[in-house]
Amino acid sequence: MDLTSLMVAAAPAFIASAVEFVEATTIVLAVGITRGWRAPLAGTALAVLSLAVIVGALGVALVTVVPEHLLLGFVGTLLLLFGLRWLRKAILRFAGIVALHDEEEIYRREVAELRAQGRSRTEWDWVGMIVAYKATLLEGIEVAFIVIAFGAKGVAALNAAIVGALAAGVIVIALAAALRSPLTAVPENWMKFGVGAMLSSFGVFWFGEGIGAHWPGDAASIPIILATFLAASWLSVRFLRSLVPEGARVSARNV
Amino acid sequence: MSSVLRGIWDNTYGLLVDDGQLAVGAIAALVVTWLAAQSAALQENAGWLLLVLVLALVIANLYRAGRNARRHIS
Repeated sequence: MDLTSLMVAAAPAFIASAVEFVEATTIVLAVGITRGWRAPLAGTALAVLSLAVIVGALGVALVTVVPEHLLLGFVGTLLLLFGLRWLRKAILRFAGIVALHDEEEIYRREVAELRAQGRSRTEWDWVGMIVAYKATLLEGIEVAFIVIAFGAKGVAALNAAIVGALAAGVIVIALAAALRSPLTAVPENWMKFGVGAMLSSFGVFWFGEGIGAHWPGDAASIPIILATFLAASWLSVRFLRSLVPEGARVSARNV
Repeated sequence: MSSVLRGIWDNTYGLLVDDGQLAVGAIAALVVTWLAAQSAALQENAGWLLLVLVLALVIANLYRAGRNARRHIS
């Protein structure tokens, strides 16, 4: 597998995983700063171990056992569902219909909830450990899914996707450890928009490959599909802004 | 433990389905594309057909969401 093909797996896995790592880091930071670091770090380590087992067992089995065209069809379906969900929400956010994702607000809310629960200084902090474990595991499942999806083209692609996700994790965790505050400077809303379009593009591309469709230039078609998704999304944002004027914000559950 | 497992299931389901109509529509687009690909004449361009169907689905879904939002505030 050539370098370009490996980058096709590593780069999107890096960007998509970075968004998930930022969200998990916000929760672990909130726990660590309010309740001490031992329990949340233990919870995080346990979650990472659980995720390694999931990716190791499921990912390797999928990539090595399932025939390639079936795997591409299956992964393409999951990617499309996953990507369209992100893209729809991102478009509604940029159109002002759904509130923008605010990491600072999430952090403040989490800290307030954790403080309200209180803790004994002498006992092991099970609350802190479970909150960190759940946050890391749940966001990590999304990372695992992203890695398996972008690595579906074979073992080399799977390894490239794992490297992309790990690099994102190392950078996000290092930044959070250095700053000791949620990474609000990360343009998460923009990244989610881009990742939604990217996941949807890969979903269309791989499902097409799985059913034997011909893509001109093979993987070179992906940027064209991506550009089409981005253009349609941008037009949708403009259209929705004219349909529901600025300031007419409603909560997501009402849409 | 059960709450963790429930959380994992909810998260996995929520990972793929946020708006039921969009998810069902996407599955329908995939089925239509797969059926089209069974014809030798359409197989080569089935990928582009899927792209068109998905874009139409997203735009229709967003239009409905926008209309619902406008109705909600008026």
